[in-house]
Amino acid sequence: MALNRKIAYINLTTGEVKIKPIPLEVRKKFLGGRGLDAYLLYNNTKKGCDPLGPENALMISGGILTATCASATARTHVMAKSPLTGLLGSANMGGFFAPEMAWAGFHHLVITGKAEKPVYLFLHDGEIEIKDAANIWGKTTTDSQWAIQKELGDEEVKSCVIGPAGENLVAFASVMTGVKNAAGRTGMGAVMGSKNLKAVAARGTMDIKIAHPVEAFENNKKFIDQITSAKVNQTQGSLGTPFIWGATNSWGGLRTHNFQYNQLENADDIEPERIDEIATETIGPYHMAGCFGCQVHCRAQYRIPSGPYAGKYDEGPEYTSLGAFGAEIGCRSAETLLTGNHLVDQFGMDNLETGSLISWAMELYEKGIITDKQTDGLELTFGNDEAALEMVRRIAYRKGFVADALASGGIPATEKFGKESFDYLVQVKGMSNLHSDERATPALALNIATASRGSDHLRSRPAIDLYHLPEKVLRKIYGSPIPYDGPINSEQTSYEGKSWMVFWQENVYMGVDCLGICKYHTTFLGATLPNFEDWPKVIYYNTGLEFTPEELWTITERCNMLERLFNLREGLERNDPVKGDVLNHRYHDEPCRRGAPDVIGLYIDKDKFDTMVDELYQYKGLDKNGRPTKKTLKRLGLEDEPSHLV
Amino acid sequence: MAIKGGKQSTAESLRKTRTFGKIRCHNPSCMERIAPEPGSDHAKCPTCGMEYRLFWVNDNLPRIRGPVWDVNRELAERTFAEKQAAAAAKKTNKGGK
Repeated sequence: MALNRKIAYINLTTGEVKIKPIPLEVRKKFLGGRGLDAYLLYNNTKKGCDPLGPENALMISGGILTATCASATARTHVMAKSPLTGLLGSANMGGFFAPEMAWAGFHHLVITGKAEKPVYLFLHDGEIEIKDAANIWGKTTTDSQWAIQKELGDEEVKSCVIGPAGENLVAFASVMTGVKNAAGRTGMGAVMGSKNLKAVAARGTMDIKIAHPVEAFENNKKFIDQITSAKVNQTQGSLGTPFIWGATNSWGGLRTHNFQYNQLENADDIEPERIDEIATETIGPYHMAGCFGCQVHCRAQYRIPSGPYAGKYDEGPEYTSLGAFGAEIGCRSAETLLTGNHLVDQFGMDNLETGSLISWAMELYEKGIITDKQTDGLELTFGNDEAALEMVRRIAYRKGFVADALASGGIPATEKFGKESFDYLVQVKGMSNLHSDERATPALALNIATASRGSDHLRSRPAIDLYHLPEKVLRKIYGSPIPYDGPINSEQTSYEGKSWMVFWQENVYMGVDCLGICKYHTTFLGATLPNFEDWPKVIYYNTGLEFTPEELWTITERCNMLERLFNLREGLERNDPVKGDVLNHRYHDEPCRRGAPDVIGLYIDKDKFDTMVDELYQYKGLDKNGRPTKKTLKRLGLEDEPSHLV
Repeated sequence: MAIKGGKQSTAESLRKTRTFGKIRCHNPSCMERIAPEPGSDHAKCPTCGMEYRLFWVNDNLPRIRGPVWDVNRELAERTFAEKQAAAAAKKTNKGGK
């Protein structure tokens, strides 16, 4: 059955492989996917370990529902200590890898050590081989995958791989599968590169026994109806995530020119509808693809319409690429956007971090903090599309002073660019912000300041706060499964009740990450999508494990707290500008200058923000400094961690 | 047992609140519901004056593609000037006391 999938410990230094069952006791405490990986990370790394050293443990996993009859169980999760932040590294991606890994017999991999020369792992029907990757090293992400399929003589082999950026230890290198599915954030590709691990390939034909298959199918039919009937998912299935970018830019919630502005005016040519018109095989209902078992089909496909890369195939672009190669760098060209997206996919680099750091460098250049000599004559100004694309290439291969500095991540780069540069680095915990501007939305600002992997929209963002839902609807959503009768407010510009919303979302996102399903199948962008109350059935029918919604809530709290414990162990302190739960000063000092009339002049009030952080800490069971109390650890059953149960 | 009972979950019960054929004004404290003419490519908010370009995902599902830029800019600049003037006046009054 699904719960029979194994955990494999692979030491690349010695070549030793140990395969173990996952104890039920551990499953019940951490479920699977990200939650169980957090447990494995905390138990298999030591305080202060070098993120790029052999002692760092790299986890690759599927969720507890991966490859079952549940919908959209495509997510592959990757976790390790991050070379970008020095804190928690964690990212997940869609595609088809995790189900293949499950059919090959594995749900979790724990990879330590460093191979003497480039290798890849091949997982197949309960076995693991360490294979020579000499012929694959140096190849792009897609070429690597096709080469592995050819070498193994099986087109059904699925791989997660790194590209040149991971090999060159770019601190924000992605792990990728397929053309554009990226576990992009926090530099997990660099961790693979540091281990000389080019890829993990999987091919499986092992059965996944479902506990109650008839009921699982019947229940999933209802799930699918709930998911596909939501307006947000119909729009996703037509335009992909860029639809969010257009809407966000409309009211002035977008970050442009490295946070100097909150709207890119006259950006019609990079709106998804326009891309659909000018690129071939692109966005639109007939060009959308889906990940394993998903009915939303939000993955656009395209060929670059013009320029030096004309005709090249890729997928997306996602919201983050519209930010990275559009708004942030002041670009309004679809060709540049699609080319930039293609380059980061091929090199295996986080589009979000890449675009953010380039836009940061552009502001530093315009302010004279970075010089022409340091850029080797490259005019690094906003709106210089060619310079931006050149920087992408240079970063991947660490060519030149500026690109090499950026490739190490924002915080290390400040040491090379000078102290003043830190003021303009829009980051939290060393990770760049999403290309959205949260100065008008306190809930979203709190989310990015306190998310476990650094500034991030996928860890606790109450995105439905933007919909102006009636208070009674908000109370229904946020009052379950744990009763809540505190303040709540429909206004997105309000500070009232937002800390509870962030707490609730933090738990719901941990839930889907443990299950291994996509966030478009839960309360992320749509208010009517499944969450805690809906999950017990799907877990029970597929795995036989019984949980109440309240028990699932507690599990997600526990997993989030474990991530917090890891970060605290690695140096997180509440008010530390580098590793703390704080925002760049621009959030507090510089009001919004563009957008809808009500957005103009807004900024994040520091005192009110600090109150929100206090409230969030209280809900999480943390003290004023952001550390869990003994009572909290006992309540969550974490007082004995690290417990080394598996 | 956790899975017993035919009661609708919160997510299921909220399905009836879905509205089709309408958009919401993007101005945060306005958020007026606007029902554009089916198939139309523009809509104006009757409450705050914001104007939008539209895209129809399907016959029942319009979405705001983006603002009408010159209208948006005019409103934004006017509001910014008003807010600055108000802030300056407040500062002056405070100084006089």
